[in-house]
Amino acid sequence: MLMKCGEVRKFVRLYLDSELDAKQSFEVEQHLESCAECAGLFQAEKKFDERLGRFLRHGQLTRPFWKKIEALIAPRPFAKVKILWPLALAASLVIAAGTVLVARSRPLDLANAVEECHSAYVHQITTPEFSGAVPTKIAQQFGGRLDTAAFDYRPSEPGFTSSGARLCHVGGVPVALILGHCAETPVSLIVFRKSELDHFPQTKRKLESGDPIACSRSGRYQFAARFIDDHVVCIVGDRPRPVLEDLLKTLRRADG
Amino acid sequence: MDREEQRDRFLSLLRPIERDLENYSRRMVFDRRDCEDALQNAVLRAFRAFDRYHDDASFRAWMFKILTNEIFAANRKRGRIAEFEIAIEPEEIEEFAGLDFTADAPISWETLSDALDEELLVALQSLNDSERAVLLMRAIGELRYREISECLGVPLGSVMGNLSRARQKMRDAILRARRRSCL
Repeated sequence: MLMKCGEVRKFVRLYLDSELDAKQSFEVEQHLESCAECAGLFQAEKKFDERLGRFLRHGQLTRPFWKKIEALIAPRPFAKVKILWPLALAASLVIAAGTVLVARSRPLDLANAVEECHSAYVHQITTPEFSGAVPTKIAQQFGGRLDTAAFDYRPSEPGFTSSGARLCHVGGVPVALILGHCAETPVSLIVFRKSELDHFPQTKRKLESGDPIACSRSGRYQFAARFIDDHVVCIVGDRPRPVLEDLLKTLRRADG
Repeated sequence: MDREEQRDRFLSLLRPIERDLENYSRRMVFDRRDCEDALQNAVLRAFRAFDRYHDDASFRAWMFKILTNEIFAANRKRGRIAEFEIAIEPEEIEEFAGLDFTADAPISWETLSDALDEELLVALQSLNDSERAVLLMRAIGELRYREISECLGVPLGSVMGNLSRARQKMRDAILRARRRSCL
């Protein structure tokens, strides 16, 4: 049964804040499609959110200040302990034997960096800002460090469905974040300029060493990245690594 | 995970949200030195406690919680008391759900320019700490109501009530700017 205007107006604020469950959201959407008056009020409220959000989020990062804070987070020196030499020798052997395993399982820096971005999408903290062409006001925020072509990548696999995209920053790098699903699991595509890869030296080394695809795991998500033209394209999600690699291999630019 | 790996992982999670944390702190404290002190203390405190952070929790929400505690503690020291005085019972939550949805005529956004930012800043400064924290956690931190409630250790109803009042005050500021632009 369709919601009435009074009910919708009670729930619309929660709807805008993504606090309703799927059923209630659907009912609000249904009503807004059929009621011009409520739809008009909804649009006004949405614009209020956008304008207020723009004001509140406005502000540049004070980079020197953050560099200073990061410098304070230095690893603590190991406490001086008296170690018997046989124990030290045994420990060294264990460490030597484990080094290879550790090095192989350590998450790539880029995988760590995009984890939070994807996690925010999974928990519906991040939602798409637009679908289709990049709006001019968003393109104006690139600061010459990203191009609209970065938003054009999609896997040609039919299993992937995109729900839209948004501009995002990963480790200070502006990236195109394309949000989608693969077999009902949230999957994020993250695309940025190859020239920004210096921010992620581990991944850069790996991709430039000849491996066509760099894979890693960070937290609960699998991650894979590769070069396409002048871009680094990453894919992240809670899907088996081969599935993500296949998606990555089928990535194409809409205009290519 | 050794200390260096822990540091790398902490920084990889922190860097994407540095700007949001700085914006949040700047708008919660206003005084630049207090803002930087709160940020620095929060980051160092978070790093020291990082081994207690679990992967299944939102790092963003965890950091906002630590930073908010720092800001409130700093405000208390300076005599700017931050308390959530209004506790709303769960059954009252629904009442608040629709309070801030205005029936005003749609605003003509094109007629409002930079003057609006000044009006909004004044309105933001007029909010109490509780209202401002909730509004900023939602708008800058993009936290869910439940996460905000956990961050601040207050009932969900208090979050909704404060958010509702804060938005109403900001909306009033926009309407004032609109009226002035029509003069």
